[in-house]
Amino acid sequence: MTNAALPLSAPGTPAARPVRRRFGWGWLGIVPFLLFAFLFLIAPTAYLVVGSFQNAKGALTLENFQQLFSPAIIATYGNSIEISLVTALAGGIFGFLLAYAVISGGLPGILRSALMTFSGVASNFAGVPLALAFIFTLGRVGLFTIFMRTVLGVDLYAGDFSLYTKLGLEIVYLYFQFPLMVLIIAPAIDGLKKDWREAAENMGASSFQYWRHVALPILMPSLLGTMILLFGNSFGAQATAYQLTGGFIDIVTIAISRQMRGDVLYDPNLGYALAMGMVVIMAISITAYSLLQRRSERWLK
Amino acid sequence: MRTERSTFRLASLGAAVALLFAACSAGATTAPSVASSVAAPSTAPASAASSAPAPSTDAMAALVTAAQAEGNLTTIALPHNWCDYGDLLTGFTAKYGIKINELNPDGGSGDEIAAIKANKGSTGPQAPDVIDVGLSFGPQAKTDALIQPYKVSTWDSIPATAKDPDGYWYGDYYGVLAFEVNTAVVTNVPKDWSDLLNAEYKGKVALAGDPTVSNQAISAVWAAGIATGGSLDNAQPGLTYFKQLKDAGNLVPVIGKTATVASGETPIRIAWTYNALSDKDSLAGNPPITVTVPTSGRFGGMYVQAISAFAPHPNAAKLWMEYLYSDAGQNLWLKGYCNPIRYDDMVKRGVVDPAAQAKLPDTTGAVLPTLDQITAATKVITTGWPTVVGATIK
Amino acid sequence: MKYAARIGWWLVFIIGVLYFFIPLYGTLDFSLKSKPFLSAYTAILNDSQFVSTLTYSFVAGILTIIVSVLIIVPTAFWVRLKYPGLRPIIEFITLLPFVIPPIILVFGLDNTYGHQPLALTNSDNGLNVLLVAAYVILSFPYMYRAVDTGLRAIDIQSLTEASQSLGAGWIRILWQVILPNLRTSLLSGAFLTLAIVVGEFTIATFLSRPAFAPFLGLVGDERPYEQAALALVSFGITWVAMILIAVIGRNSRSRIRVTVG
Repeated sequence: MTNAALPLSAPGTPAARPVRRRFGWGWLGIVPFLLFAFLFLIAPTAYLVVGSFQNAKGALTLENFQQLFSPAIIATYGNSIEISLVTALAGGIFGFLLAYAVISGGLPGILRSALMTFSGVASNFAGVPLALAFIFTLGRVGLFTIFMRTVLGVDLYAGDFSLYTKLGLEIVYLYFQFPLMVLIIAPAIDGLKKDWREAAENMGASSFQYWRHVALPILMPSLLGTMILLFGNSFGAQATAYQLTGGFIDIVTIAISRQMRGDVLYDPNLGYALAMGMVVIMAISITAYSLLQRRSERWLK
Repeated sequence: MRTERSTFRLASLGAAVALLFAACSAGATTAPSVASSVAAPSTAPASAASSAPAPSTDAMAALVTAAQAEGNLTTIALPHNWCDYGDLLTGFTAKYGIKINELNPDGGSGDEIAAIKANKGSTGPQAPDVIDVGLSFGPQAKTDALIQPYKVSTWDSIPATAKDPDGYWYGDYYGVLAFEVNTAVVTNVPKDWSDLLNAEYKGKVALAGDPTVSNQAISAVWAAGIATGGSLDNAQPGLTYFKQLKDAGNLVPVIGKTATVASGETPIRIAWTYNALSDKDSLAGNPPITVTVPTSGRFGGMYVQAISAFAPHPNAAKLWMEYLYSDAGQNLWLKGYCNPIRYDDMVKRGVVDPAAQAKLPDTTGAVLPTLDQITAATKVITTGWPTVVGATIK
Repeated sequence: MKYAARIGWWLVFIIGVLYFFIPLYGTLDFSLKSKPFLSAYTAILNDSQFVSTLTYSFVAGILTIIVSVLIIVPTAFWVRLKYPGLRPIIEFITLLPFVIPPIILVFGLDNTYGHQPLALTNSDNGLNVLLVAAYVILSFPYMYRAVDTGLRAIDIQSLTEASQSLGAGWIRILWQVILPNLRTSLLSGAFLTLAIVVGEFTIATFLSRPAFAPFLGLVGDERPYEQAALALVSFGITWVAMILIAVIGRNSRSRIRVTVG
């Protein structure tokens, strides 16, 4: 049996080999990741950064970024941020409840596997099939709409509601937000040891107190982290929104694809600048999350 | 125990890799892409086309040999049900034995140009050889040095207003905007643009695309404007019309697709005749579809063909063009309900396919804009749409 | 558990089920409208492209999962164990795929790998490599987050030290101690990655790969009933695949719990 490098803690520990500096080994673990990210993410998208500072002729300019501050584009970012925040919060909360229900809520174990595997599929059911599924269900002549009208006498479309609004889009987005939350928060819920709950109850804590002082603080970093993921996921969604809103609701991803593709010649450099804007927003979210997490992680090791 | 599990995993990994390679080498081609927006040729063919000269046999034979030596052709954005490209693609392969690699069926004109730019210098299967794009893209691609000139043997019978004099791009077909109506839901078929504003069509009308992006949708706005006081030089009334349509609650703010027409969600869709008619065929009465060309504001859109300047298979590309512009090729477009660009010449020579011709809807009076008019109107509509019509929906 | 609480959780579950299944039922209802009845489904099953594109996407998905796990697990492990300062940078990189539109990524890949000496776009195999690489990148946000959450729930410091005191090297620690404890996380990550790959449209289209999502989009253009049927069938098949992964995962080595001190 070979001796790996041992920390020189206990006196008298025989050192079969000279101690290797851990520093050297550690980098090997991260290098594949960095290399891979560089080769297939950073290098190919470098032109995104460069292009955002150029105009159509290739000269350096800041006018793409200046355009970002026009009222129309600010409104576009506002739409994206609003939709993403709403779906991240709603998706996070209900997704968490759903996950907790099947893991620790006293439901039969098989429902957990069913939900987990279903969530795997549903988390990526997006784009045209998802939009159509909701059109078939909640559209003006959708199954559910008609059911509500004929059976329950409630006309969903009598008032302001329509599937083709921001609210409708948010409802559709939740279809992949809930499963994402469920899948990623599951290991964290697993980590909530049963003994803690029992210990709390033995000490006379009510359910509410258990949640407030034990469970939620422990789960908070994971909850917040996953909600950031949900935020990003929603922010980057495009195909679903495009089909459902037909370009009537401006969000950043649709604005970008307009500049880059479409049947009408446009301005790809502006598209790059818009994408850079997205990067900045994600960077801000991650920073906010890191700060929050550092504070709430005090409870864990 | 441990070793068995690891071996099993390794074996599965090996099997997976083997499967992947097998699947790949089983000749992969993506589905054909959607043709870009339809362009409209000018109203009357300017020159009375002389009879199409028979291609010099030697030149053609040499081209065929060279093309077959290349063995492959890469097309982009050609859905099979768009102007019957399906038959054209299979026919080409059957006739010359050249395999066709079809890219990005759903793509738009912008995608095609972007694909050429992104694959400059690549000889792989992703670099497109030929493109079929909206009229406004042709001259721009020429300026950007993305296409190369080629004059097909039937060049002279293409109307002068529908081609680049230097041979860089050339019109291929056109269609006219029509109302695609699901008659199971809408029994009283609208006859004209003004009908669409009636209360009976509340929540029933949709565009086939995004008017800030899709040529089909932009043309719809323009055409509506022409019918309500605008003209080829003034597209603004189109925006006013659609604002009215939206305020009346008749416009459904969703992209109309075959599925939404069939389900009744958007029982009236404004689309090119050939798209609507092809839907009618493929739905085969389930539900029944009627395609009507509006009585006023008849508007045509033309598309153009071009060969990429960086085509990996230039001879195959040229042969493809010869095929498309031959009488047989033009008739296949006609079969797909598109008006082929050499239509008038073929009618004169009596080589038009009568069955296909009979199925074409009456489009007399359709106007076809010039390039300058398209540029101006596009700008007006795409910039005006978000503020005038789109605005913020709750 | 208190009766009221349990009812509450059942209610949550039922609401979830309703929300997920009603739209699927709407799709089913539409797909059944084809005439003759069920012709949408028979047409799919007779379509050879259905099987080939779905197989292609599945195989790509499995390869993606393997590569992604091999890259992410050591990275997340080392960041947690030794380089917590690197965490924000690594997280930022893993979240970049969210904010970089796939269309930009694909054009970038075309540009970077379209010329010599790295000409990967000139051959089918090269394009396949690019596709899997792009998908691995796309899987980063989910895989990293899942693994990170899983690592947080186990005490890797103690596990590592214990293993080291037993003489294990790093590879052994990762493979035999850490990995088995990450079963739930890896399964979630694997599910998400597989679903991403099968559902991914833009990159597959622009790399002209015969994958499933482009095929699904193409079918929809002309045959709406079949597209609806196809969406459901692929949903079902992917779900079955997930269940298989879960079952295989369960059969593997059970969790090792090391309680220290």
